[in-house]
Amino acid sequence: MKRCDRMSEEVKLEEISAADFFYRNKSLAGFDNPVRATYTIVRELVENALDAAEVPERPPQVEIVMMEYKSKIKSSLPWYKMAVADNGIGLDPDEIPRAFGRVFVSSKYRLIQSRGTFGLGGTMALLYGQITTNIPFKVISAKENEPVYEITMMIDIKKNEPVIIEKRILRGVSRASFTIVESFFEGNYPRAKKKIIDYLHQTAIVVPYANISFLDPEGNFYIFPRSTNRMPPRPKEALHHPKGVDLELLQRLLRSTRARTLKSFLIRHFQRVGEKTSIEVLKLANLPPGKKPSKLDKQEISSLFHALKSYNRFLPPDPSVLSPLGAGLFELGIRKELQPEFVKAVQRPPSVYGAHPFIIEAAVAYGGQIRLVGDIQLYRYANRIPLLYDVSSDISYQIIKKIDWNNYGIKSPEDEPVVFFVHVVSTKVPFKTVGKEFIANVPEVAKEVELGLRTCARDLRIFLSRKRRKETLRRRYKLFKMYYQIIADTLRDMLGERPPIEVLLNRLSANVGEENGGDECKEESA
Amino acid sequence: MEEMNVKKRALELARQIVGMIKKGEFPEIEYPPNSQKNIEFDEKIGYIFDPKAYSRIKGSRVKSLKTLAGVLYGLSRALDHLENGLTMTKRDFYYVHKVEKLKETLFPEDQRETDARIVLMELILGMPREAFSITSDPRGWIYGDIELIDKSGRVLRTDRVGEMGYSVPPRPENIKFKRIGVKAVIAIEKVGPAKNMIELGIPEERKIAIAILQGQASRSMRRFLRMLSDEGIPTAILTDLSPWSLRIAATVIYNSINSAHIPYLASPEARFIGILAKDVEEGFFRDYQFALEPLTQADLKAAIDNQFLPNLQNEFWQEENKWFLEEKKKAEIEIFKAMSPTARKLKDLFVRYLREKLDEHMGISI
Repeated sequence: MKRCDRMSEEVKLEEISAADFFYRNKSLAGFDNPVRATYTIVRELVENALDAAEVPERPPQVEIVMMEYKSKIKSSLPWYKMAVADNGIGLDPDEIPRAFGRVFVSSKYRLIQSRGTFGLGGTMALLYGQITTNIPFKVISAKENEPVYEITMMIDIKKNEPVIIEKRILRGVSRASFTIVESFFEGNYPRAKKKIIDYLHQTAIVVPYANISFLDPEGNFYIFPRSTNRMPPRPKEALHHPKGVDLELLQRLLRSTRARTLKSFLIRHFQRVGEKTSIEVLKLANLPPGKKPSKLDKQEISSLFHALKSYNRFLPPDPSVLSPLGAGLFELGIRKELQPEFVKAVQRPPSVYGAHPFIIEAAVAYGGQIRLVGDIQLYRYANRIPLLYDVSSDISYQIIKKIDWNNYGIKSPEDEPVVFFVHVVSTKVPFKTVGKEFIANVPEVAKEVELGLRTCARDLRIFLSRKRRKETLRRRYKLFKMYYQIIADTLRDMLGERPPIEVLLNRLSANVGEENGGDECKEESA
Repeated sequence: MEEMNVKKRALELARQIVGMIKKGEFPEIEYPPNSQKNIEFDEKIGYIFDPKAYSRIKGSRVKSLKTLAGVLYGLSRALDHLENGLTMTKRDFYYVHKVEKLKETLFPEDQRETDARIVLMELILGMPREAFSITSDPRGWIYGDIELIDKSGRVLRTDRVGEMGYSVPPRPENIKFKRIGVKAVIAIEKVGPAKNMIELGIPEERKIAIAILQGQASRSMRRFLRMLSDEGIPTAILTDLSPWSLRIAATVIYNSINSAHIPYLASPEARFIGILAKDVEEGFFRDYQFALEPLTQADLKAAIDNQFLPNLQNEFWQEENKWFLEEKKKAEIEIFKAMSPTARKLKDLFVRYLREKLDEHMGISI
């Protein structure tokens, strides 16, 4: 049962379903083959760690170690031992079994946006490890100035219950809080490697305030250092937006409310509804404002529902429920990981599709260290998680294909060092399929993506035209210098006198200099 | 004399450019382009170069900067050649630019680039390229009782200097005529028939000179013919009956658009005596139509283009050209061979034809 009428900052844990279902439907959660599973395990545990570390609003630090595990059992695929550590607030020893030992135990099922796609990912990862190796996993965690607990456990799949194998205190007091999750699984790192590194690289862009490091089974050590300590504001829980409820939810709210009148019911349970709006909506529904909410008959509920749908003057949904990155942080992340010559990010104003608020953040980066790959380079994020599969099916990809880039100074995005970024932030990301790897063509979302990209592209056009103008001037100067050299030499041959061409060249270099400090040109004419 | 002029003119130009640079201005060269605006056509004079519009090569423009540097470089090389008594061909001039230090600048892509520059230099200096040492491989001979003094001061008689006569030099201006003993000069397109006439002793017997064009008449040949014409010697032109030959004849008479800016290349007094369409239809060759050749595709295209050439606009040329378009045939001068298995017969035919034609078109009897 959801309780949306009260906002709370405390972590809520709610049970939704059983582990068994997902055991039988592994592919749904991204475990369809060992390669994909290896990538998904890294991803889910890293997302969990980042989520854990972001709660107390301190810059996250996530350390990942993966190494090959020599098992006694003969297996065609290698086994790996993986440990992920975060600097979050840590977990109470009593919370740990519930948090990690049951599928669908999650803090994600409320009207609040957070990282993670399934709300079960971490546990699924551990469950997969258990299924393939039959080795229990460990959670080591401590709160600030409290003991360090180590809990070794397994999941009873049938009962969807944690089974604690061992629980012990490793140290009396830990000065810092942390959590380490350690598990074993059968996988294929060499083939998953590229995706995993891509994932970490793209994650580092969208969490520029996190330190991420990864020691891989081949002995490579990857570090993605933070470039800022600034973190985006935490999302807040919020009331439903009146346009975002379905009939079922409305009925439930009406039944359970403590509000005495319809007028106060609307004000109390919905955002963007005040006294005046409430009366206007009820007028539209042809319902008396003083009526008791629980006394509405089917007909009346329906007309209230339709009034909520057709009333056009609600403010857009409260964006504080969403947690976008912000253009500044987005740009920082992109600069840090890609070192482009140009980057521009925008955050679009909040919008709604169906019942759900969303914000699009878009960015375009150009030049610098960006390499050509012969295809459109698009980094997609959904609630700060990189989406790495099915790029060409994504609405953003299709929009980029559709835009005439010539208008923005780019002949074709495939052949130029340009990278696009689209971040969809929503309480419900409009994924097209259960695989949750690409965004569907929802008109409201598509429009925002296009506007976001075009806004960035306008700045890119200005940047490129300045850059090209500068290049043209520089090329022109070089050309003039070469030809006037010949002219001067020739005239000296003919007349025995070399004309002072430097005066002319200086005039040109002054023009080149206007565009940028002009240092280089002074050198040239010296 | 002319050499001095070229040098003077080139150095003057160089000094002007230095002057502009000294003033802090981007240098410019003004010149009359050989565009249609500046070229007129007059039936009595031929092509006339009459500059009304002028162009500028601007040293402040990327586009013309290369041209400016190229013209100056070209002039400096030409002066160097002149001073050392050396000539160069267009090909030589092309190679003069294929040097290491010009690799990123004036190094030409192909010869058309430097050829175009030569024309530009002619327009800027107002002098033919031969005046600034860029000459063609000599083409064209003159054979007949003409005594002349060549550049080196030697006296020559053009029917006593070899089987084909005197090879016309690139700069005929340096020649002076001492004595001219011919009634007319006949400019002949093809080498073979012309040589036959010489071998048969026709020039000596009939007191005519033979000018061998070897295809389109070279600039030096046209200049030389004009000099003879200026001496009062009637000039007749004998070519194939073909679309190309119309152009050859017209170029001798009127000069060509390409060299319209070079004066004294036209001989408006010259007469095109044959082979004419009527010679084939009802005249000298009427019984030998079986020896005609069909027009090739290229020939036919030339005939179509001929309809629009400014120097072929008068009724006579267009009537001649119409014959090709209708008959799709041509006659070559070699047709005399088809008419005369023996040398004696050939000589008779040549003489009869020339006599008939010179009388008809020019009132000259030989």
